[in-house]
Amino acid sequence: MTITDTIKAGTPQRAAQPAPGLHRARRRARTGFYHAGMTVLVVLYILPVLWAASMSLRTDANMFDADQLIPHPITFEHYANLFTILPDFGRYVGNTVLIAVVGTAGTLLSSSLAGYALARFTFPGQRALLMVILLTLMVPPQVTLIPQYVIFRNLNWIDTPLPIIVPMLFGGALPTFFFRQFFLTLPRELEDAAAIDGAGRWRTFFSVMAPLAGPAYLAMGLLTFVQLWNSFFVNSIYLQDQNQWVLTQALQSLIGRYNSQYGEIMAGVTLVSLPIVIGYVFVQRWVVRGIAFSGMAN
Amino acid sequence: MAEAAPSPAQAPRSRARRREAGTALLFLLPQIFGLVAFIGVPLGVSLYYSFTHWDLVAPEPTWIGLENWTHLLEDERVPKVLWNTIKFIFTGTLSFLLMSLVAALLTYRPRRGVAFYRALLFLPYVLSQIAVGIVWRWMFNTESGPINAAIELFGVDGPQWLLDPATAMPAIALVTTWQGLGYGMTLYIASLHGVPEALPEAAKIDGANAWQRFRHVMLPMISPTVLFLVVTSLIGALQLFDPVVAMTTSGGSIGMAGGPDDSTRTVVLYMYNQMFNYNERLSGLGYAAAIAWVLALLTFVLTLIQWAFSKRWVFYAGEGAAKKGGQ
Repeated sequence: MTITDTIKAGTPQRAAQPAPGLHRARRRARTGFYHAGMTVLVVLYILPVLWAASMSLRTDANMFDADQLIPHPITFEHYANLFTILPDFGRYVGNTVLIAVVGTAGTLLSSSLAGYALARFTFPGQRALLMVILLTLMVPPQVTLIPQYVIFRNLNWIDTPLPIIVPMLFGGALPTFFFRQFFLTLPRELEDAAAIDGAGRWRTFFSVMAPLAGPAYLAMGLLTFVQLWNSFFVNSIYLQDQNQWVLTQALQSLIGRYNSQYGEIMAGVTLVSLPIVIGYVFVQRWVVRGIAFSGMAN
Repeated sequence: MAEAAPSPAQAPRSRARRREAGTALLFLLPQIFGLVAFIGVPLGVSLYYSFTHWDLVAPEPTWIGLENWTHLLEDERVPKVLWNTIKFIFTGTLSFLLMSLVAALLTYRPRRGVAFYRALLFLPYVLSQIAVGIVWRWMFNTESGPINAAIELFGVDGPQWLLDPATAMPAIALVTTWQGLGYGMTLYIASLHGVPEALPEAAKIDGANAWQRFRHVMLPMISPTVLFLVVTSLIGALQLFDPVVAMTTSGGSIGMAGGPDDSTRTVVLYMYNQMFNYNERLSGLGYAAAIAWVLALLTFVLTLIQWAFSKRWVFYAGEGAAKKGGQ
């Protein structure tokens, strides 16, 4: 894919336009120059990512050689060592997946319900509620963290995933606003038709509107999942017992303790990032659309 | 003319309205509960904590009045961490806003291959800040890291990057810009696509050059997006934490991040330090809550200033006309 795209990038576009010869040649040169420049730029741009993956596959003797971007020979010993340093790596994967999946599902459900109500119901205090929801975007999570910490500590929830998952189950300001904006774009006729068929508001939502909002669920779900997968600050507050760690914490624990073992560190970085990168290749369009939409909504 | 008494036809309508409001409340219940339980109440409670001392060893917080707040004024690390955060805003936020605009201008035109460039520029955004921080920690390594190795090819010694108090924060800013660029670019592109093509065309016919078309036509048209990015990236910059931890932790624990010489200790990192470190007279949850409230007030004031100034430079197309999507 990379190669074909690069090749395509080199060929000028639309040579068949009815432009004067000189003009066409100049445009073709300019297009070629653009694509050559952009190709160099983006490759340089993601070089750190490629470099990290490459280091995880190098032998220690070749670790710092500049000509090892494609490692030769390739070794997987650092991955093997990583599982010796972090014998519970599989558990961290499980902890991370649990938080990311349950948290995302809960947020999507609660926020889409709230967003739908804000978009399609009329009730007193509607505008005020929307304002309050938007204002909470200004509240730094650190301010509410300390009282939350005390509550969860009293519930004996420290060193369990509950303090991270449970607040996610009640939705969030940004996803709620996102769903509101999305539902506003859907035509009202669909709901009118459902109402004529005798469907109540709940059935209309779950059997007509929610399926139509598939793209919104997908985009917001991906963003939330990635955010939870990558999050570190709250996890480091609540999950101090090593058995409860998530992947970012395990990764962070490598620095300092194994500072000079670059192969193992980069193997960790690669393993934690790989699922996201692979997923990103497939759903990139939806992630980007989701971001563009949530930004435009403002 | 209708009198005060409700006509028979109005009674069922108001009942229907009440029913609708009731159903709406049910739809909104989880979100409203979340707002109250995890934001509203904690906000007040943390304000209360800021007037107390609590090390979590004692069963209850002890009321100490304004002591935490007066201590904030005396604590010499407070201006230091505020200054560090400001340093980050003037490097990281500014470069993010500018560079992602440049990236958007390079890739917003629909051409073949452009989706590929965008996808790669966006990729770092989906990675964790910890993973990215660790990778760049290596990039900045002064002994064998690629950046200084490249600089040395020109026969000069590279900077000490994360080891030098003068360059550590700019180095972190470079990394957050690198990682966030795709996000800003995506929003700018969406906004640039909203500009009617006739506008720059007309300006071109009137003899405006590329810079003038950008400065006087495109930029005003995308200014709402600029404002959105300014506000949100400022809020984010004030909460800088993960990248600092990933790039400056020496030794095993987060408590040791923030170096060299405290030059990258941010407000949130200092709050974290105070929350879990009870070695000082006032350190603990109470003082940490006071620091968190400083952060909240700072966020609020800066956002307010942004809104106030935005009236001078943000241009809303079709202002006064019907607005799309009920914003």
